[in-house]
Amino acid sequence: MIPVVVKISKMPSLRIDQSDLKCKNGCDYFGNPQWQGYCSKCHREQMQRQRKAEKASSATLPKPETKKPDRGLKITSHSSFSKFEEKRHRQSETLKKANLLKFSVFKKSSTDDHEHSSEKRPPEFKIPPQVNEGMKRDFRMRFPQLAQSRSKEPSLAVDRDCRAFVNSFIMDVIKCTNVMTVDELSERVQRQYQRFMKHMDTSAHFSHVDADTKELLMDFVEKHAMTYLHELPSIVFSPNGTEDERLDRAMSERIQQLSWVGERHLECRLDMNHAECRQLLYKAISELLGMDSALSPGDKLARVRRCCRHVLRLCSSSAPASADDLLPALIFTVLKANPPRLVSNINFVTRFCNAQRLMTGEGGYYFTNLCCAVSFIENLTAESLNMEKKEFDCYMAMPASIGGSAWAAALSLCGAAREADEQRALAHKLRAHTRTIHERADLLAANAKSFEEQIAKKVEDVLAKTPLEIKPRRELPRIGKFKEISTAPLIDLGTSHAHGEPEPPPETKPEPQPEPTVPQEPNITIQASENEPKLNILGFEVIERQSPSKSPQNLDQTWDLKQTSSLELLTPSPLGFTPFDSRSIDELMTPDDFGADQLPPGLSNINYDIDLSDFSGDNSIAEDAPKSDPKDPFSPEALKKTFDPFAPQTSRGYEALDSFDEFSFVDQRKQETDPFEVVHRGQDPFSPVDIAKDPFFSPPKQSTSILDDNDSPTSGCLLPSPMQPQSSGKPT
Amino acid sequence: MATAPSGTHNFKVVLLGEGCVGKTSLLLRYIEDKFNDKHLTTLQATFLNKRLNINGKRVNLSIWDTAGQEKFHALGPIYYRNSNGAILVYDITDEDSFGKVKNWVKELKKMLGSDIVLTIAGNKIDLEHERTVPLEEAESYANMVGAQHFYTSAKLNQGVEELFLDLTRTMIERYEQNSQTDVNRTSQVVVVDDEAAPPQTSCCSGNKTN
Repeated sequence: MIPVVVKISKMPSLRIDQSDLKCKNGCDYFGNPQWQGYCSKCHREQMQRQRKAEKASSATLPKPETKKPDRGLKITSHSSFSKFEEKRHRQSETLKKANLLKFSVFKKSSTDDHEHSSEKRPPEFKIPPQVNEGMKRDFRMRFPQLAQSRSKEPSLAVDRDCRAFVNSFIMDVIKCTNVMTVDELSERVQRQYQRFMKHMDTSAHFSHVDADTKELLMDFVEKHAMTYLHELPSIVFSPNGTEDERLDRAMSERIQQLSWVGERHLECRLDMNHAECRQLLYKAISELLGMDSALSPGDKLARVRRCCRHVLRLCSSSAPASADDLLPALIFTVLKANPPRLVSNINFVTRFCNAQRLMTGEGGYYFTNLCCAVSFIENLTAESLNMEKKEFDCYMAMPASIGGSAWAAALSLCGAAREADEQRALAHKLRAHTRTIHERADLLAANAKSFEEQIAKKVEDVLAKTPLEIKPRRELPRIGKFKEISTAPLIDLGTSHAHGEPEPPPETKPEPQPEPTVPQEPNITIQASENEPKLNILGFEVIERQSPSKSPQNLDQTWDLKQTSSLELLTPSPLGFTPFDSRSIDELMTPDDFGADQLPPGLSNINYDIDLSDFSGDNSIAEDAPKSDPKDPFSPEALKKTFDPFAPQTSRGYEALDSFDEFSFVDQRKQETDPFEVVHRGQDPFSPVDIAKDPFFSPPKQSTSILDDNDSPTSGCLLPSPMQPQSSGKPT
Repeated sequence: MATAPSGTHNFKVVLLGEGCVGKTSLLLRYIEDKFNDKHLTTLQATFLNKRLNINGKRVNLSIWDTAGQEKFHALGPIYYRNSNGAILVYDITDEDSFGKVKNWVKELKKMLGSDIVLTIAGNKIDLEHERTVPLEEAESYANMVGAQHFYTSAKLNQGVEELFLDLTRTMIERYEQNSQTDVNRTSQVVVVDDEAAPPQTSCCSGNKTN
């Protein structure tokens, strides 16, 4: 049936004659060293003969001896030859196992005699702490009701008991694995499970745990113990001393050879052309394949359960699926899946899964079905497929790659379809993601816009308010310094035009008198108007009263000293105003030129200085002004919209201020444009103030003079009202 | 026999019989009657986990349907190993199916001995007029092998509930008898041992059948 098994790895030893590769029995098939040189067929027969012989011999012996042969001891004399053979076989396997363990698990020095060392091993062997940690975590996750709700003490005890049991369980299995056959080990494991069950029933710690939770705890314990043991080589999973691995290979080959078996052979109603059917079959197959990667028996069972559920849906298109439908479909699934290490997996579950669950429970039922399917495949004959023996043989002789290609194609189609589905899902997700991003971006834009509008509105509001607030504040400090500062009533240049300018100095002088009465600003304005009836007073011009006196006196002295340097440098740099430097030389030159005319050239520089000192006063105001700073963010807008056009005018305004300080009014008029523009631009801090002022005072500026522009913010209409409270407050 | 913690009995029952005698219908009827409001289970009629309370004893019944096709007959032992009860179904209009039942009985007796409770069910009594299996023959045979005999109709929902209830009661009795004899044999009167011993025996017997 399975004629040729030649391993590539055997190729180097090609000196062997081909006849040596043939079956020892002399049939024409090739033999295999793993089958003691027999071909598969002869080997099976041989094995059966051996088994029969063993049975016969064991029947004559008292039971306990057959049950528990001591592998390590010398064989007693009365056993039959076949039994002796078998024992030796097992013994050698035990040796092999011990050696394997020595190297792989225990890393023990190889000098010890394995027979004796087996007793010493357990203490050396340590269960890695991860097992414990993992259990703790998993326990909390799985039994939150145990970990939380009840009083702490018993639940902790449950947790501890479980872990203690798993530890002792693992130790026990590892200890026994050297001296026991797999069946004995399995029995021992089952007894351990029962022990734990009994412990749960009797221990006080578990008194509050209901029956269902106990079963879950049982599964939990089983899972963790077995997951760990599963990873150790050849202890519980396809252990040494069994033929699991060989059977795995045989099974895999067998299934491959049966790949031609189709749904019609098994009489199951499957429609390959139906997309849903293909999908379900594909899912069932992937679950079945996943069984190998699951570690604990419980997980493997869960895989089988899921697989069978898919298969059931596959069968139950019209009526609820019955066992009559399930089994053939499951067989078909197994044939198409050809799961890796199938026999090992099944044996592992049968041996080490909690027998109780395997016997009852849904998982157990489906697993039993799987066992049936495997058994059916193993013993599949022409009769079981209702076909002629000749046809069957013909199919079996056919190379495996030919048969079942239709289904293989359909299933690969399935795989591709599923992949496509996944891709589509991914694409869909991405699209949705982009959409949300777009929406958010739009929202953000809308927000920004509304915010902008809001801000603009606020700006307008504030703009409406600011003149009222800013101007008084700007003057307040000066009013505070009134003794030093003279508030010059604004001259409505509309009337006095260019001639108004020379007049302010006289105005400033009389002001000291009104100052004592200053606190009441209306009075001031009134007084100012009284003092200078000729002029229409629009507001105050703030001029430092001392500046006329100061600037010539103090600053002249100080700055005279510096004149040289400034002259030498040809820059007003001592002030630290880089904008000057950056300005064209012409601008720098002009003040000098002018200064040369009437004032010492240094003075022109001093003018700037003085301006600064003045404006430093202004600065402080400007710093107060930042209360209008909330408007600052708007300044850019304001700048765009309002500032630029008026910039020259404001600059003029500052020139005017400067000019006052210097008392060189005539010069100022001439100088107006050039130098002071520069100054003004250098002094950005004031610009917002100016801007704030500008819109209101653009008309007077347009009218003409610098002074007006400068003072316009303090125009009469706006000024008085805020001033009053303070002024009235002062005297009282 | 098996006990779960806290005295709940776990019983496994297999449904055996030739194909098309109505095993699945019986199971489906039992499922549907009990779970009329839950239609989840009707996707499949292959397996049923059922909890009963009989005379204050909690019973967890696992009912397994088996494939009845002739070609799967050889797989029977895999299905019925470790089971506590078997329901052998035949079709009263089909004499062959009754012959199958006889085969099953023989096989079960051989493999499981007296551990298993047998119940024979003559199904499809709604087709009484087509009956080919004589009533007396069936009942006398059942008596002979120590099995209960029921007439059922999955279609008309007759005798199904009674069948399962009676089987469960018998299984409890059998279980208690066995544990009694266990106690007598070991002459250990510790209550805990009482519970521990039966699972062990079941475990060993299970391995033997392997």
